[in-house]
Amino acid sequence: MRAIGSSIPRVDAWKKVTGEALYPGDIEMPGMLHMKVLFAHRPHARIVHIDTSKAEAADGVVAVFTAKDVPVNEYGLLIRDQPVLCGPGSDKEGADIVRFVGDQVALVVAETAEQAQAALDLIDVTYEDLPVVSSVEEALAPDAPRVHAHRENNVLQAYRIRRGDIEEGFAQADVIVEETFRTGFQEHAYLQPEAGVAYVDEEGRVVVITAGQWTHEDREQIAHALGLPEDRVVVRYAAIGGAFGGREDMSVQIILALAAWHLHKRGIDRPVKIVWTREESIIGHHKRHAMVARARWGARRDGTLVAVQVDLTLDAGAYAYTSTKVLGNATLACVGPYEVPNVWVDTRAVYTNNLPSGAFRGFGGPQGHFVAENMMNRLAEALNMDPVELRMRNVLREGSLLPTQAPVPPGCTMPQVLERLALEAGWTWDAERGWQAPPPPEPTPPAPRPGLAALEATSPRRLRGRGLAIAYKNVGFSYGFVDECHATVELHGGAEIERVVVRHAGADVGQGAHTVMAQFAAEALDVPLERITLIVSHTAETDNSGSSSASRMTFMAGNAIKRAAEEALRLWREEEARPAVAHYRYIPRPTTPYDPETGRADPNITYGYVGQVAEVEVDPETGHVYLTRVITVDDVGRAVNPQQVEGQIEGAIAQAFGWTVMEDFQVEGGRVLTDRLSTYLIPTVQDVPEEMRSIIMEFPDPQGPYGARGMGEMPFIPLPPAIIAAVRQATGVWFNEIPLTPERVWRALQEKGTE
Amino acid sequence: MKPPAFKYYAPSSVEEALALLAEHGYDAKILAGGQSLIPTMNFRLAQPGVLVDLNRVSELAFIRPADDGGLLIGAMTRHVQVETSDLVAQRLPLLHETMPFIAHPQIRNRGTYGGSISHADPAAELPAITVTHRGKIHLRSTRGSRWVDADDFFVGLFTTALEPDEMVVEIALPPLPPRTGWAFDEFSRRHGDFALVGVAAAVTLDPAGAVEDARLVFMGVGDRPMKGDTAVALLRGQVPSADLIEEAATRAAQEDIDPFGDVHASAAFRRHLAAVLAKRVLTRAVERANR
Repeated sequence: MRAIGSSIPRVDAWKKVTGEALYPGDIEMPGMLHMKVLFAHRPHARIVHIDTSKAEAADGVVAVFTAKDVPVNEYGLLIRDQPVLCGPGSDKEGADIVRFVGDQVALVVAETAEQAQAALDLIDVTYEDLPVVSSVEEALAPDAPRVHAHRENNVLQAYRIRRGDIEEGFAQADVIVEETFRTGFQEHAYLQPEAGVAYVDEEGRVVVITAGQWTHEDREQIAHALGLPEDRVVVRYAAIGGAFGGREDMSVQIILALAAWHLHKRGIDRPVKIVWTREESIIGHHKRHAMVARARWGARRDGTLVAVQVDLTLDAGAYAYTSTKVLGNATLACVGPYEVPNVWVDTRAVYTNNLPSGAFRGFGGPQGHFVAENMMNRLAEALNMDPVELRMRNVLREGSLLPTQAPVPPGCTMPQVLERLALEAGWTWDAERGWQAPPPPEPTPPAPRPGLAALEATSPRRLRGRGLAIAYKNVGFSYGFVDECHATVELHGGAEIERVVVRHAGADVGQGAHTVMAQFAAEALDVPLERITLIVSHTAETDNSGSSSASRMTFMAGNAIKRAAEEALRLWREEEARPAVAHYRYIPRPTTPYDPETGRADPNITYGYVGQVAEVEVDPETGHVYLTRVITVDDVGRAVNPQQVEGQIEGAIAQAFGWTVMEDFQVEGGRVLTDRLSTYLIPTVQDVPEEMRSIIMEFPDPQGPYGARGMGEMPFIPLPPAIIAAVRQATGVWFNEIPLTPERVWRALQEKGTE
Repeated sequence: MKPPAFKYYAPSSVEEALALLAEHGYDAKILAGGQSLIPTMNFRLAQPGVLVDLNRVSELAFIRPADDGGLLIGAMTRHVQVETSDLVAQRLPLLHETMPFIAHPQIRNRGTYGGSISHADPAAELPAITVTHRGKIHLRSTRGSRWVDADDFFVGLFTTALEPDEMVVEIALPPLPPRTGWAFDEFSRRHGDFALVGVAAAVTLDPAGAVEDARLVFMGVGDRPMKGDTAVALLRGQVPSADLIEEAATRAAQEDIDPFGDVHASAAFRRHLAAVLAKRVLTRAVERANR
């Protein structure tokens, strides 16, 4: 049996099922102390004074830390614009300002978590409230208060794409559609809230054991804030209970290291542990960016797209996080997977006093495609043309130019994915009429409830509809970032290879990355999987892998491990030394940043391609939208572990359904109204569609290891506009704003009824 | 979080339990299925000094036929027992129909009838069903024993007629009269969550097909089960038509309930949902009465 392409059980499954695997919150160490964070709980204020004396004197309290204790009081993945602790006394200018409710003000370390919690109330903080910038509209107003005083305005980053002649394009258009779209924040809601343990080891290194997405980046940010060389910091990951982008930025990493380091200097060599509550997690880490976008698209009568204009704004919140990169993706994605001669795109990410926004599965792709795919479905309607037919006439193909005027990387299979999707969902094609949709589904009575007789006669009929959308998602870091991924493979044994050690930093956030790593090694070496030992997610034992994000870990780790294994095998065969050890640093093909004037760029290494059809039922009296069926076609290049691929697809669909219909993250004046899972509703297994049909296509990516593309994000992306189109078919109403809460749907149906 | 320290007693008889309640009074809380009390204690919203655990009082777990054709249900009867009971299905079809709506199977495995009505969450199903059935609740203390009408038992938000030394021992649910149809429905944004609104109905028709009696009870839209008396008054004596039912449902949703607004839905939307669900359950009840 080949290792690649088989659904072998996950290497971590047994320990997770039996409870043997330790998540960060499970770790107990002798003599361990406990830490709690004092969050600001106000959206914008200056801290005039902090008095910690009462807290320091409280029962069980060992230490209290504030801004003055942070050696270099700044951090950030891309831009170091956030204080580790807000307050007076540090060197960092502007660190006395809190800019969102989850800014951290003080740390209390005590013998027990309860004592630490109690002491938080004894910290006396004098705030001077500042005007709150609560929306992008407020942030962009001419006299808006500035979230970061030293900046000229609240625009964190802006991009533009200029291709062709937009006015000429609209002049050629027979049909022009113009709309404004809004999408909301989304909370990652991973099972495991932020937690970790830190201590100083016998070699004097600060060790942080936590859950993250990129060990080496965590290490760099910790070392910077502590003013230490990187080799004095070790980051290790315990089992990780989900990430979805939400662990890409720092949460507890720096503060844990800070506390352990200070205690060590005071002669207190005891580990420090922190576990955030769900409420702390929800205000303490970033969200998916809320978006507002205006779009104007024009097409000829024959369906040829001739002009695409989009103006798109993302709410970056209080700090940069990965907003500039998310914006970059949204800038490309808002044109959709189409070849368009005339493109005019303006985008910006804007600071506000809302929670920071950042990485979340899809990374700007969902927002961008929400614009593009809704516009395509509206254009199809305006042209009285089938939505598949319209797409087929414009879709990116091998050799097409992207809006940024670089050719799409080889291996573009958008047409093949679209065709398969259409056929699977009942579309037909003939030479005369082209693509034709199946008839719309008939309204049906609701399914009988468990234990009830069918009540067709008295139950109102549910309206049904079907909608389609497609998408593409980049694999790997983009826009000129030099991406890299290291792997080391050791072959132990005598006459034959008895044991293989794979060293790799990559984080298994729950998606199964480590299983896939073992499969790559087994395949490349042609040894049974049982002989593979993984040493993973440990900065002192492995080299930089880059992040488990951007749908990149299978692609990058696969390329690195495959080549390291091949080299180790060569050494094994050609040389005497045992173990045979090879290291490989995989660097994918280079990309380039947006040109500031034209947006010209070769933006991404490669892409995965996806299309989905959604079927919904809508209760016209309650406004409830039920997602009943999804057909999803994903070109993953090569399904390294098909079961894990299906798991990613189904998880993405559940999460995308949540964003589109159920999840309603509410913020008022910078304050979060939905900071717990009883107020912020995510779908349960009973709410996701009963039928999710995954069709996995395997057109190899020329750059992919054994042809594999990244695929963890893309099944999220087409579902929202597919649901919107399905609801349109069911109810006759187009929605431009999500989530489709029952109340929003009901109100819109009321308005339609009274028109 | 975990609850603060408390004293714990596990009596094995009703007498023992009553003696403990008499001794500790206000300081004591009864632990039945624990599906509301334990989370409340873990959040430290409730901090009882004494817990009296009824889970070993086996004499309180029963479903018995009553002489009037209804049932007597012991306070410690689990939801799952009610849900799967043939006696309940035969004699109290409205209750049978409602049970699967209560939260999730895990909760129904532990939660008890007596616990639910003593907790008196206005958004819970069993208080509303007990009122719809015109049930009677048997309370005992060391001072004696009394029966209270369901109508008088639910006093307000999480508040009942129970005195600190009293506990619910059983619930008597009379059967619905002949020629009576029934229905229950609720609406929640997510499966198994507390409903935004729930409504129970029972409609009794006379031989000529006019409404002899009707009951309509809302949950989640007031501080206790709310009776739709406006609808009942409109329906009584009339041969129900779709228009009349719609009017009755709408009027009751306007006049008989007091919904609140929160992050899940505005008060206005809850009122709208109450009208929609009332219309649906009344229609279904009339249909069943006509069969």
